[in-house]
Amino acid sequence: MPLRIIARLDVKPPYVVKPVHFEGLRKIGAPTDLALKYYNQGADEILYIDIVSSLYQRPILLDQICDTSKELYIPFAVGGGVKTIGDFEKLLHHGVDKVVINTFALQQDPQIIRNAAEIFGSQAVVVHIVAKKWQDWWECYSDCGRIRSSKDAVKWAKEVEGLGAGEILVSSVDTDGRKRGFDIELISQIAENSKIPVIAASGAGSLVDIREMVVQARPDAVAVGSLLHYGTTTIGDIKQYLTDNGIRVAQ
Amino acid sequence: MSPTVGLLNYGNSGNTYNVQKALELAGGRVTMIQNKADLDLVDRIVLPGVGCFKDAMNNLAPIRDELICHIRRKPTLGICLGMQILSKIGYEYGETPGLNFIDAEVKKMEVKGKVPHLGWGTLSMIRDSPILDGITEKDNFYFMHSYEVINYTDVIALTDYCNHKFVSVVQKGDIYGVQFHPEKSRTAGIKILINFLNL
Repeated sequence: MPLRIIARLDVKPPYVVKPVHFEGLRKIGAPTDLALKYYNQGADEILYIDIVSSLYQRPILLDQICDTSKELYIPFAVGGGVKTIGDFEKLLHHGVDKVVINTFALQQDPQIIRNAAEIFGSQAVVVHIVAKKWQDWWECYSDCGRIRSSKDAVKWAKEVEGLGAGEILVSSVDTDGRKRGFDIELISQIAENSKIPVIAASGAGSLVDIREMVVQARPDAVAVGSLLHYGTTTIGDIKQYLTDNGIRVAQ
Repeated sequence: MSPTVGLLNYGNSGNTYNVQKALELAGGRVTMIQNKADLDLVDRIVLPGVGCFKDAMNNLAPIRDELICHIRRKPTLGICLGMQILSKIGYEYGETPGLNFIDAEVKKMEVKGKVPHLGWGTLSMIRDSPILDGITEKDNFYFMHSYEVINYTDVIALTDYCNHKFVSVVQKGDIYGVQFHPEKSRTAGIKILINFLNL
């Protein structure tokens, strides 16, 4: 199975922004432009997260999501502020293929994962785990990496799999946006124990970072943000480099 | 004149928006099928994917008999779940009879890998079919499914996932099914839709 390379857009409407440690935002551009740019570069999927929706406690903004999906003919995953089955339905009817959920499932009601999977199918439900490392465990965070939950990330990954999630997106509060490498141990522990696909995120600063993480942690997909946004690396570069290093990707 | 494609909207789960967009890019005119009368207005039928076999059949119940009559007369394409419900029977959340055009059962994938099967795969051609005109074994298609169609009689192509070969394209007369999502498979996917419109 080829490794999927996913372009990640963290959106603070109306802009794609680049958070560092989930804070200190920098504007990068319009999501419609960037999604199309990465689509044309050969991205396998586009991941769009409205990073302030939960924090500001407002509903997800559909128009911009719908616009972003318009010229994409690859899977499009969207998250941020998803709280109800109605939210899933609205997104899936506006060009979205997979709905990403964290805060509500983590802090309020994990059963929304089961309910959504039964109605829309597991493949439409992606659980986002945002973890912070403590001495010998990782704690799940919500609300854009700000609110603690006391839940163990590796255990939560198993729990959401049992509830019917179709995929797990793993981010790290510690490595996100720093471009200094992934939390390989976190990704590895979740990927190793998981029977559903795992997307590794947070920390790609170079092609070498991606290769090292993939070789050691064996995720099913990698989500890349910063590395692409600053224009130094393209999706094509990543795929070429991984292919040259014996890692199979879709061309 | 470009053909009018009837896109079935069967409820909460359908990704009709994306399929409509891709069919239009392929040159089709799309009409959403909301009721029995709409079926008379179209000369092709597309059953889109995403969702659960049982819910899909329940949602189709009010138009099931008419739909079957029209599928007998008009080129039809089932995508993902839409391909699965063309089968005789499905085993997702219990046992549910399908539309019974393809002699097949739909069962959970049993592989030494992760399920759902999410990602790109290629086709190994078994038979020639107009739906795969211009498609090669190098083209990538996007799969997103936990269940597979078990069929031996109408197979056009197989796809390998973790050394398990499953049916990815079927054809019986003018009825076609693809397990992958052509609307999510870049230009190769659009080519499949163009082939369908050219039938």
